[in-house]
Amino acid sequence: MPEETSRRQPTPVRYFYRTFAAVHLNVLNPASPQASDLLWLWDVCWWVCIAILTVVTAALLYIPFRFRRRDNREPPQIAGNKRLEIAWTVVPILLVTFLFVSSVLTARAVDRPVRREPDIVVIGHQWWWEVRYPASGVVTANEIHLPLDSDTLIAVESADVIHDFWVPRLGRKIDAIPGRSNNVWIRATAAGEFDGACAEYCGAQHAWMRFRVVAQPPAEYRTWLDGQSAVAAEPQTAEAKLGQTRFGQLTCVNCHDVRGFHSQKQFAPDLTHVASRKMLAAERLQNTPANLRDWLRQPNVLKPGCLMPNLKLSDDDLNSVAAYLETLQ
Amino acid sequence: MTRFDTPKLATAVFLASEAVFFTFLIAAYIYYYGSVAKGPRASNSLDPPRTLIFTICLLASSGTVLLAERSLAARRIAAFRMWLALTIVLGAAFLCGQGWEYAGLLARNVTPARNLFGATFFTLTGFHGFHVLCGLIALSVMLILAFRRSFAQKEADGLGAIALYWHFVDAVWIVIFSLVYLTVWL
Amino acid sequence: MSDLPLDPILIAGDRAVPTHEPWLEWIATVDHKRIGVMYLLTTLVFFVVGDCEALLMRYQLAWPGNTFLSPDAYNQVFTMHGTTMIFLVVVPLLLGLANYLTPLMIGARDMALPRLNAFSFWVFLFGGILLYCSFAAGHAPAAGWFSYAPLSEAGYSTRHGMDYWALALLGIGIGTIATAINLIVTIVNLRTDGMTIRRVPLFVWMVLVNSCLIIFALPALNAALVMLLVDRQLNAHFFTSLGGGSPVLWQHYFWSFGHPEVYIMVLPAFGIISEVIPVFSRKPIFGYGFVAASTVAIALLSVGVWAHHMFAVGLGHAWDYAFSASSLLIAVPTGVKVFNWIATMWGGAIRFTTSMLFAIAFLFTFTIGGLSGVQFATAPIDWQLTDTYYVVAHMHYVLFGGTLFAVMAGLYYWFPKITGRLLSEKRGKVHFWLMFIGFHLTFFVQHILGLDGMPRRVYTYPNLPGWARMNLISSIGAAVLALAVLVMVVNIALSLRSGALAGDNPWDAWTLEWATSSPPPEQNFESVPPVRSARPLWDLAHPEGGRA
Ligand code: HEA
Ligand code: HEA
Ligand code: HEC
Ligand code: CUA
Ligand SMILES: [Cu+2]
Repeated sequence: MPEETSRRQPTPVRYFYRTFAAVHLNVLNPASPQASDLLWLWDVCWWVCIAILTVVTAALLYIPFRFRRRDNREPPQIAGNKRLEIAWTVVPILLVTFLFVSSVLTARAVDRPVRREPDIVVIGHQWWWEVRYPASGVVTANEIHLPLDSDTLIAVESADVIHDFWVPRLGRKIDAIPGRSNNVWIRATAAGEFDGACAEYCGAQHAWMRFRVVAQPPAEYRTWLDGQSAVAAEPQTAEAKLGQTRFGQLTCVNCHDVRGFHSQKQFAPDLTHVASRKMLAAERLQNTPANLRDWLRQPNVLKPGCLMPNLKLSDDDLNSVAAYLETLQ
Repeated sequence: MTRFDTPKLATAVFLASEAVFFTFLIAAYIYYYGSVAKGPRASNSLDPPRTLIFTICLLASSGTVLLAERSLAARRIAAFRMWLALTIVLGAAFLCGQGWEYAGLLARNVTPARNLFGATFFTLTGFHGFHVLCGLIALSVMLILAFRRSFAQKEADGLGAIALYWHFVDAVWIVIFSLVYLTVWL
Repeated sequence: MSDLPLDPILIAGDRAVPTHEPWLEWIATVDHKRIGVMYLLTTLVFFVVGDCEALLMRYQLAWPGNTFLSPDAYNQVFTMHGTTMIFLVVVPLLLGLANYLTPLMIGARDMALPRLNAFSFWVFLFGGILLYCSFAAGHAPAAGWFSYAPLSEAGYSTRHGMDYWALALLGIGIGTIATAINLIVTIVNLRTDGMTIRRVPLFVWMVLVNSCLIIFALPALNAALVMLLVDRQLNAHFFTSLGGGSPVLWQHYFWSFGHPEVYIMVLPAFGIISEVIPVFSRKPIFGYGFVAASTVAIALLSVGVWAHHMFAVGLGHAWDYAFSASSLLIAVPTGVKVFNWIATMWGGAIRFTTSMLFAIAFLFTFTIGGLSGVQFATAPIDWQLTDTYYVVAHMHYVLFGGTLFAVMAGLYYWFPKITGRLLSEKRGKVHFWLMFIGFHLTFFVQHILGLDGMPRRVYTYPNLPGWARMNLISSIGAAVLALAVLVMVVNIALSLRSGALAGDNPWDAWTLEWATSSPPPEQNFESVPPVRSARPLWDLAHPEGGRA
């Protein structure tokens, strides 16, 4: 994944973590105004906490050493001090008040009121993400494309249990709850691909319910959108043609939608342009011909518990169906 | 050094937790009250006048248990046994009424599975009924003791605690009755 | 009497009883000391079980793509780990301590309701066993320790693990409430003459507040469990979105129990610290009144913060602000405690016993855990960090580095009273340093994983830069912790046999439990010394009246 420069200079803490952990620290490495606002709050809170921790730690290091027992005399029996009590009640109150105010400011900046239809509807399924673009009718899975530098409103819903939509570098988490629709604003300010994950435990394959967000310049985004809104291309080679018919006969169509060839309701990822996707099965596999065949041969092994059955395809079926799917650019 | 009557205090604390428990069940009933659009509802499934009669039984039993306590304090054992027995009869009557009501509802396929009215109604009233049953068992034990030997202070304290519990069960029912049944007439 | 060689069976032995099979005496006992000991031993076993589950998880997560555990197995393990640690270890452990110590500390002969006390223990044990029967029945619960609906509903958790979970927790909940009732009545009714509410040992104070919290918090869980069972068994729709039910209601109900629960899991630990630090600093607790009052403040606030576990639900800003504010406020009374404990050490004569070391370590780790809690309490930060390993780090810093470190301090402090023998300080120091280092090794890096976006409750993870290394460090830490726990268990076993004899008051402490033999006789006291302050034994030692 290309390394974008953070919109904010890394504070010492981020330097420390980065070098110590050799990780990007996605949460502390924002690529959107939303994420940077959250980062600002994180920094504020971090400094407050570090200050407190320093005081406490210093006391815990100094006092036991300074007042370690030396002889058998009992020390003076002091049992309290009102002034001190007031001091260490009032100061924390001021600090948390300060934190509260900053958090309100951040909250208002991060999710602004919603006055229009969503640009994208993301629907969590066990264990993959359905992605719909209402304006253009595009339906895809596990790969969300966004135009760069434009406010995108995403509606987050669920088809079964509770999931949670999260792209650390682009902004806040929001739960996907059955029977209810949540909204989240995202404005990607750096081109590139961003890891996303389901953050609410949702069953067997919660771990492999990941996705990616592709932020691209508006022109690029348009061409992608046009490509996706086209119906599936008719297969040319004989094998692919055979694959298409087998795809119909092998009950794939009962769950999968290939627009133009066959239409079903969305139980499983839309395959109209599956070949155009980088990954398979919610980031479980790179989308290579080999992996695709592997997936069709044994989805239950690659992603134990996933809701795609192992259809025990014969090698011929495997090759023809795979050949067909590869034509679905 | 003892500051309160132990069984009474223990019961009081216990009832505090019971009160919280029922508060949550009642809250659920209220929360879902509006969301039941079609199918059985309080207004088209329940029979408030009939339930009112049995409610009166239960309320009366609160009085009789009080009288039982009084007569025990005055060591009028015969009266005590009589009031205690009457309390049990009234409580049992209430339970029978509830059984009758349930039978009718189930016969018309009003069940917890049917919709949220069924779920909330049966859970709420069912758990109250269960508490009445427990009270009846405790009272019956007391009655047996009352016939076996003359009540010592220890049993008397026990009775005090059970009476407290019994009043609580009544109070809860008053809330449930007003909320679930009386609202039908609004 | 304290000089008898100690055979664990004789712990708290009621030598009065004619001795038929000892185990029968234990099963039949209503003596608060024996019940307390049974609590402690049972929770030690459950602790080791939960620990081993933790080891399984850490082994699975040690490197990316590990296939040691299937996802389904992993999900059962982390669910059982969390449920075990919270419901079968921390809470009953603290209740067991309270059970053993409360009557002794207030100069009483036993709990107010000994039979109810025995009942509570057996219900708890039954619940624990029932929970683990789920394995035998084929499938343990796998929906996490707070079993969010609809995942926990019949439609998505088809096996019976969830039902075992719900029934077991109902049983445990009832037992816990019964114990709380017992403790309240005991503390209110059975305090010895002169022990006014301002002279009660702080441990007892916190146990009292804690019991009240239990009374008001646990019924919420019971109600939620009942509704879940009605859903699963009678096909109702309380928490499933179809049929108009609300998955969010489960979260409100669960957390309005669940957050008070986390304080239920820490208040008695605060009590332990408030006993240990003064004794080993040779000073009275600093600001007794404030420490006691702040406990009440915490209890009151804690029933009004539950939705800070639900910031990501999208309840709307009004909710988030309100619960952010209340959660932040809790930092204040907690801080008052921390500062008072520190001030207690100031100007003292500090003895570095293992107990004291754990107490100091508690102050450090708990503060870190508390501060990460404060970060979550500033809602927008939680929007980023909720359900990541940052939360896992937080809860272990407060639960393990907090509560359990305090319990370790209490273990080394009261073990001589309970058994008549001191735990070996040499092994104790090893235990302490292994545990301290292992703990931070395991859980500090989890903050970093959280910041890098690793979600919790994942059976494996993609090989993103740094993730493998961080997880490996964490797993190595867990191994060190395993060693620490082994040393602890060994220390207990060996010291029981051959530990130095304690005598009545080895630490020359000031509360009433030290005014009787170790272990105490069945009736607890030959005679209870007069109580004229919070430190009766200090008054005895300083008749001229050194101030207390
Ligand atoms: C012993 C148990 C315990 C304790 C004591 C705490 C203490 C606190 N917890 Fe924690 N918490 C848990 C156990 C506990 N927690 C568990 C188990 C979870 C995870 C549940 C799950 O999802 O599985 C959790 C999760 C959790 C969340 C939800 C995270 C998420 O899932 O998104 C939040 C959010 O606000 C939170 C907040 C707090 C706060 C504000 C405190 C405060 O009480 C902390 C107060 C203490 C201090 C602040 C330190 C000392 C104070 C000072 C030195 C004074 C100066 C300080 C300031 C001015 C800030 N906790
Ligand atoms: C007091 C509570 C407590 C304690 C002590 C622990 C202890 C530990 N926990 Fe626990 N943990 C929780 C409470 C606790 N945990 C909770 C509530 C959750 C949330 C669950 C959920 O998400 O639903 C959780 C979740 C949790 C996770 C996240 C799982 C996930 O989200 O996928 C992880 C991962 O590392 C973890 C690790 C550990 C480790 C390494 C320990 C170590 O401290 C363990 C140390 C001990 C050992 C390593 C073994 C020692 C014992 C022996 C070697 C046997 C001795 C032999 C004899 C006696 C004969 N825990
Ligand atoms: C019972 C329903 C069902 C049937 C039948 C089914 N699938 Fe699937 N399929 C799924 C589900 C569910 C997923 C998502 C799995 C996951 O990621 O957890 C999936 C995923 C896939 C993917 C990966 C899509 C992506 O974008 O990641 C491909 C390719 C696929 N299926 C092809 C097929 C083919 C070819 C057949 C027929 C031979 C088939 N499926 C039959 C349910 C089904
Ligand atoms: Cu979907 Cu976790
Ligand atoms: Cu909380």
